[in-house]
Amino acid sequence: MKTIVLALLLIITGSSFGQKYTLSGTIRDASNGEDIYGATIRVTNLSNVGANTNAYGFYSLTLDRGSYEIEYRSTGFEAQSFQIDLLENISKNIELDIPSDVQQLGEVKVNATKENNNITSSGMNVTRFDPKSIETIPVLFGEKDIMKTLQLTPGVKGAGEGNAGFFVRGGGVDQNLILLDEAPVYNASHLLGFFSVFNSDAIKDVALYKSGIPAEYGGRASSVMDVKMRDGNTKKFGASGGIGLISSRLTLEAPIVKDKGAIIISGRRSYADLFLGLSEEVPDDTKLFFYDLNAKANYRITEKDRVFLSGYFGRDKFGLGDDFGFNWGNATGTLRWNHLFSKKLFSNTTVVYSDFDYEFNIGSGNDGFGIRSSIQDWNIKQDFTYFLNNNNNLKFGINGIYHTFKPGSLTGKNESFNELILFERYALEVGAYVQNEMKIGSRLNIMYGLRYSGFNLMGSGNAYDFDDKGNKIDERSYDSGESIAYHHGLEPRISMSYILSESNSIKLGYNRNYQYMHQLSNATSSSPTDNWVPSSNNVKPQIADQIAIGYYQNLKRNMYRISGEVYYKYMANQIDYRNGAQLILNDEVEGDLVYGIGKAYGLELQVEKKKGKFTGWLSYTLSRSLRQFDDINDGKEFSARQDRIHDISIVAMYKVNNAIALSASWIYYTGDAITFPSGKYEVAGTTIPFYTERNGYRMPDYHRMDIGFTWYMKERKKFEHNLNVSIYNLYARENAYTITFEDNPDNLLETQAIQTTLFKLVPSITYNFNIK
Amino acid sequence: MKNIFYFFAIIALLASCQKVIDIDLNEANPTPVIEGNYTAEDSTVRVKLSLTSSYFNSETSNFINDANVNITDDSGLISNIPSIGNGMYELQSYIPNFNTTYTLSVSHDGTTYSAQCDLLDTVSLSEITYEYNPGGFFGSDAGYLVFLNFDDPINISNYYQVVLSLNGVELNALNEIFTQDDIFSDGNTVSRPLFGGDFFQIEDTVGMELRSIDQDIYSYLNEAISIFGSNSASSAAPGNPYSNWNNNALGYFSAYGNSRKEIIIE
Repeated sequence: MKTIVLALLLIITGSSFGQKYTLSGTIRDASNGEDIYGATIRVTNLSNVGANTNAYGFYSLTLDRGSYEIEYRSTGFEAQSFQIDLLENISKNIELDIPSDVQQLGEVKVNATKENNNITSSGMNVTRFDPKSIETIPVLFGEKDIMKTLQLTPGVKGAGEGNAGFFVRGGGVDQNLILLDEAPVYNASHLLGFFSVFNSDAIKDVALYKSGIPAEYGGRASSVMDVKMRDGNTKKFGASGGIGLISSRLTLEAPIVKDKGAIIISGRRSYADLFLGLSEEVPDDTKLFFYDLNAKANYRITEKDRVFLSGYFGRDKFGLGDDFGFNWGNATGTLRWNHLFSKKLFSNTTVVYSDFDYEFNIGSGNDGFGIRSSIQDWNIKQDFTYFLNNNNNLKFGINGIYHTFKPGSLTGKNESFNELILFERYALEVGAYVQNEMKIGSRLNIMYGLRYSGFNLMGSGNAYDFDDKGNKIDERSYDSGESIAYHHGLEPRISMSYILSESNSIKLGYNRNYQYMHQLSNATSSSPTDNWVPSSNNVKPQIADQIAIGYYQNLKRNMYRISGEVYYKYMANQIDYRNGAQLILNDEVEGDLVYGIGKAYGLELQVEKKKGKFTGWLSYTLSRSLRQFDDINDGKEFSARQDRIHDISIVAMYKVNNAIALSASWIYYTGDAITFPSGKYEVAGTTIPFYTERNGYRMPDYHRMDIGFTWYMKERKKFEHNLNVSIYNLYARENAYTITFEDNPDNLLETQAIQTTLFKLVPSITYNFNIK
Repeated sequence: MKNIFYFFAIIALLASCQKVIDIDLNEANPTPVIEGNYTAEDSTVRVKLSLTSSYFNSETSNFINDANVNITDDSGLISNIPSIGNGMYELQSYIPNFNTTYTLSVSHDGTTYSAQCDLLDTVSLSEITYEYNPGGFFGSDAGYLVFLNFDDPINISNYYQVVLSLNGVELNALNEIFTQDDIFSDGNTVSRPLFGGDFFQIEDTVGMELRSIDQDIYSYLNEAISIFGSNSASSAAPGNPYSNWNNNALGYFSAYGNSRKEIIIE
């Protein structure tokens, strides 16, 4: 009897009361010392036990005392396995190598080992890119662009040529939270959307969350695009760059102290205006260019402490002699401190500054005037990750953002102008969240969380009340710090995956998002002058609820990935404008706004080939995005501009041999919904279009094919280079940028529709190099 | 604010092509369009009545000659405005009473439409000045740029419509007129260059008319200008301009006083 009790006791202590120890450390790239984000650590002799590295390459895995086979793995790297005797807490830092045969090509590729992360991860609808994996995809002007590539994936739609921004699942352009090293980027485009502000050479990872958005993110209704800058090479000096027809770029990186810290600086400058000079229609002194600079430094002070300082500064300049000047840009700065309180508790403290501003100067001499506008954020954030045990991974944190909105000021050089400064607005946006990523058994992974967010609009300043027609009926003034309006809400988020087998799974996601800031832009084209307005006594926060379900299947040993997702999104407190609204330099702009609801639903299908000489994907989206406003269209439901019913993209990349890679892409989508006249009449001898319904018409369907050719030239030990040639819009499709209606100049009794096309067949050539 | 959209003109310059296309547009039900002007200067009320037509229709407008048109003053006195054909109705010697409200009403096909407008005090033009401009701005030829000069009355919101004339021909189409408010210039001596169209040349006789209009008309004109040619790049939301007519009639009713000057450029 005694022996049985003793044996039982041994079993119990051995199992449930057994000593637990933690295996933790960081995983880095052996070639340059960069942290690897999302690398997996798997216990191969147990089922569904493992961990992933966080954004700083840190992992923590708590297991019973014992002996384990641990495998470290990440896309594009050679996996490593170790026998580990976990008899105490162990720190293990790993450096993963790029497989040697792939390295020679100067390009990171998916390795040949089994990859089914897409099946087993709980994170749903995350589209993730490593900039290197897309470098052969053809793009306009040969400038590889992570944002343009994201627009080739299902559910993500570019706003069109000449437009900044993108739409995610029927949401507006302003409903995407774009983060660069945790700093919000308010205007993510250069040259009116032809380039994004993200210089691919400086970027490590881009993740786009379309649904089941993790609770750590807040502030926008539709999606989160999280861009992480590279940390720089901690091993040795490196230089890389490219010279193109329209822009050039250069990146330099070097260790501060080998294996402890690094600095990276990356810059770009475009010279599009040189080509404008070739056109006789454009005055000689026209300026049109942008530049941007990314810089980042990181230093590991101790094994437990690490600091990062990163910044972005970019500016677009446009001018016509002395008569007209227009420039705009973002500046962001992020200071972060990583600290390990214990093997299980990881802390990150962040201070972020972000600024977007634009400036006009019109006219010269005494008749001139200038307009300025900006938005500024100071953001303090504290995030914790607590690696509770191998089934639960807790994240929690708080943050506060102080926004300063300066919607506009006008200063004239002439006494007939009074100086006008629209009142500034101040707001404090707060957030707190807790989230758990949990494994139940070997098949079910759930990530669930709750976020509380609040938005306090404060004085000093005035608040107005408006009647039903938008006329100001009351005005109140507030002292500095006095609350004008407070909005808040709870945002539940859940994302779960059920693994049916090693090669297929089902995922489900729900999220509620609050958005307290809204961008006002006109109907057909977005521009840097689109101002942000805060929620106030008149403007309520936008609230989006989305539910999504998806099925994922990998075929032929993960060579092919097939996925299908459906979603339904309901959006409350959507914003639109009264006819003829004045959005710029208007203190009473809130009176021009009207409120309604939106709904969006759709089906997204994708087939992707991940391995082999031939890679690429085919995606199809069937979706609707509708709006309903009491004050618009007689209260009848109408299509949102981005209500593109069918959307197809095909991306194909073919590696002919080690020296030559070919690529092609084709996209097609239903034309945007747009308002056209259904009649005409004459006032003051002028023909005026007569509108009967909002967005009742469609632009012509859009389609386009691009091709690219990359030649990897002979490589030296320390130097590699390639030449990329691409053609945008290969078959010169005349896609409509705008359609306008006007009198026929030859016969004033007639009216006609004119279609403007921006780009037909744009070839480009870029030379890229890398000094290792 | 039109100037801001020079910016979009550059986009148009980058454009590789423009072409006339065929588009199927719906046929809206014909809707009455009422353009009413009561000009204090000649004490005349002029009303033009027509119906909307389909967009690509090249016929002249469908005039309405059989409507009953009346104007009512502040005291409730109703005066009939007789038809003079081609959709026009005219009442002469209708003596203005400033700072009062006039109501215009039109009965047609069993529906009565009405609109109200305030006739406000007239602000005087001080002078027309001009300045040589070497041109070159968006391909314009050199010439003379004229300036609007007037003293804005302080502490009142004023709204203006400016109509130029060249050698006796009024430039009064929507893309030729100018609007001005005093949000940025209340109580100031205003001197504003009137950009738009071609510059004037030596020996041109340039006339300028400053109309003192009410706020609704000012908004109407700006909205109409912004959708003129349906250049939606400059319009937040394309729609019919907000009209002071009720019952969904299109157009406007404006009662205004004006001040004129004329010069010869030399």
